[in-house]
Amino acid sequence: MRKPAGLLALFFLSVFLCGAAKKESTAVIGLAAPLTGDQAYIGLGVLQGAQMAVEEANIRGPVFGDTRLRLEGLDDQHNPTQAVLVANKLVANPDAVGVIGHFNSSCTKAASAIYHEARMVQITPASTNPEISRQGFDTFFRVCATDDVQAPAAAEFVWNKLGKRKIAILDDQTTYGKGIADEFQKRFKFLGGEVLLRNGITQGEKDFTPLLTKVKSIAPELIFYGGVYPELGLLIKQSRKLGLTAAWMGGDGIFDVTLIQIAGLEFSEGTYSTMLGIDPHELPSAKDFLTRYEARYGPIGSFSAYGYDATNVLIEAIRRAGKNDREAVLKEVRNTKDFQGILGPINFDEKGDAIGKSVGIFKIENGKFKFLEEMKP
Amino acid sequence: MNAHIELFLQQVLNGLTIGMIYALIALGYTMVYGVLQLINFAHGEIFMVGAHLALLMIWVLTSFFAGVPFWLVILGVFLFAMAGASFLGAAIEKTAYKPLRGSPKLTALITSIGVSFFLQNAVMLLCGSREKTVPEVVPNLRFGLGAVSFSLVQLIIFLTSLGLMFFLTWFVKSTSLGRAMRATAENPEAALLMGISVNRVIRVTFMLGSALGAVAGALFAMYYGSINFHDGYLAGIKAFTAAVFGGIGSIPGAMLGGILLGLFEGLAAGYISSEWKDAFAFLLLGAVLIFKPSGLFGENLPEKV
Repeated sequence: MRKPAGLLALFFLSVFLCGAAKKESTAVIGLAAPLTGDQAYIGLGVLQGAQMAVEEANIRGPVFGDTRLRLEGLDDQHNPTQAVLVANKLVANPDAVGVIGHFNSSCTKAASAIYHEARMVQITPASTNPEISRQGFDTFFRVCATDDVQAPAAAEFVWNKLGKRKIAILDDQTTYGKGIADEFQKRFKFLGGEVLLRNGITQGEKDFTPLLTKVKSIAPELIFYGGVYPELGLLIKQSRKLGLTAAWMGGDGIFDVTLIQIAGLEFSEGTYSTMLGIDPHELPSAKDFLTRYEARYGPIGSFSAYGYDATNVLIEAIRRAGKNDREAVLKEVRNTKDFQGILGPINFDEKGDAIGKSVGIFKIENGKFKFLEEMKP
Repeated sequence: MNAHIELFLQQVLNGLTIGMIYALIALGYTMVYGVLQLINFAHGEIFMVGAHLALLMIWVLTSFFAGVPFWLVILGVFLFAMAGASFLGAAIEKTAYKPLRGSPKLTALITSIGVSFFLQNAVMLLCGSREKTVPEVVPNLRFGLGAVSFSLVQLIIFLTSLGLMFFLTWFVKSTSLGRAMRATAENPEAALLMGISVNRVIRVTFMLGSALGAVAGALFAMYYGSINFHDGYLAGIKAFTAAVFGGIGSIPGAMLGGILLGLFEGLAAGYISSEWKDAFAFLLLGAVLIFKPSGLFGENLPEKV
């Protein structure tokens, strides 16, 4: 200790500065999603949607008293271990009132226990795995449809509209991918369909030719894939090169233009996808948001509007609670009734799941996801 | 032809294709190990950088020199990726490993993991984290018999890999630099006393290994058509497995190890379970380490890594 006086002065200075900074208080909203890594693109889309909601709220004035909102991006790298890490970091912040996230079901599920223990409200904009809300955590909410709505809708569509009877099902062995594939398989078998093959792949893998060669030898009429677009793009491309002609179908995780780039314009044609809700471009209530978003960030991400809606539900609850108190905010989120989101009204059931969310069916035509029809739950 | 045999042959072709790529990467691991007894974990990232250099060159050639025949494009891509990667390999050796020459082997090993992280994140910051699509330069031609078929890209992978393997074997056997390499691998002190510039040999080894890794990266980019900054991780681990399988330090061992690993992995994924594809590769590694720790062609070395 050579300069005790200097250190002491520094200490008092920092105490003073902290005190000064506290005068205008902030309520922190966490936004947890993959912000780096191969799914960063889609996570950043959610972040941008949430960012717009927070900025608009701050322009309208303090959310209560002299408190303003601040959005804190938390990068979970679509890795459940990392998700738990960032969740712990957020709940340790006394200013943090709630979290929007995570994106991937595996991360949302892993982190949900942390938020529950810290009594922090968690609203996921995109995690569709039905198991998450069955854990009985009263802090969990979601603004999107679940896979036990989405996947059966896909199975009904394949059975009734496409008339396919013998199919193959592949998944990427994640909470989301396996979950949606299971739900699809359950409904398709219930309808009387035959599942010729059920197999898994590993996320991040590039060579699927051994599996696809096997699929080709079985000759299914359609292949359903539970997973996200980077792997499906390669699956489609490699299957076409092996001479496999069956149509591909996937859930909301494949709904991204990058899929078409990876698979190739010609090979991706005719691929089916379900998506939560219908195309926001078809909704008059989303028109204003879309114009502002696209002017600022370019083409809208598949989940940006969900990020925006989820954040607004939380902001509204904070406003009603009128104080930086997690339990009070949680109570107000639960009291949400007919919240007018840009994607339609939001109500939660007792498990925290959104009520009455429909599913849209899309098909890739001329290099674009074309909206075919809406399936009501 | 019987449908089962057709299916089997197709699976063999699938496995051989990725096996060739593993073999090319494995050569870099094994050569560096030969002269330095260092497992260069950054080698997988050199492969990934090679793939990105290839993408850059494909992009330049197809946008500014449209109409150039495809084999010229491929040649240009190979040369550019090889040049860039050898430079990178030499630079890594000079900045990261050379200052540690003579320190415990574990120090260099840990450094190589650090270099690997550095390269991954550098590429992520430079090129972004999104999956990048590689434009198709090779015409989409297929050759085949009945249901068994392979594409022109696959043919190029076979020919390039085999050509490079023959070249490397000749280089190590018959040139004076190759002899110097073998001498250094056998006994660096004695090689130094015989007037061999060991530092130069090490540098050349890094450059050669990196160039082969870059070709593997370029082939990978052309074959799969989509690359990312973390592609080096899995491919690197698999190639490392192949090098150990073949006997680390042995050049023919790395070639055979890579090809056999690809084949084994492909057949296991196609016939047993695609869920366990990676597990099969590492199971093979485990079995080799238990029953023949020196690998297929390796000499029995008592050292540990």
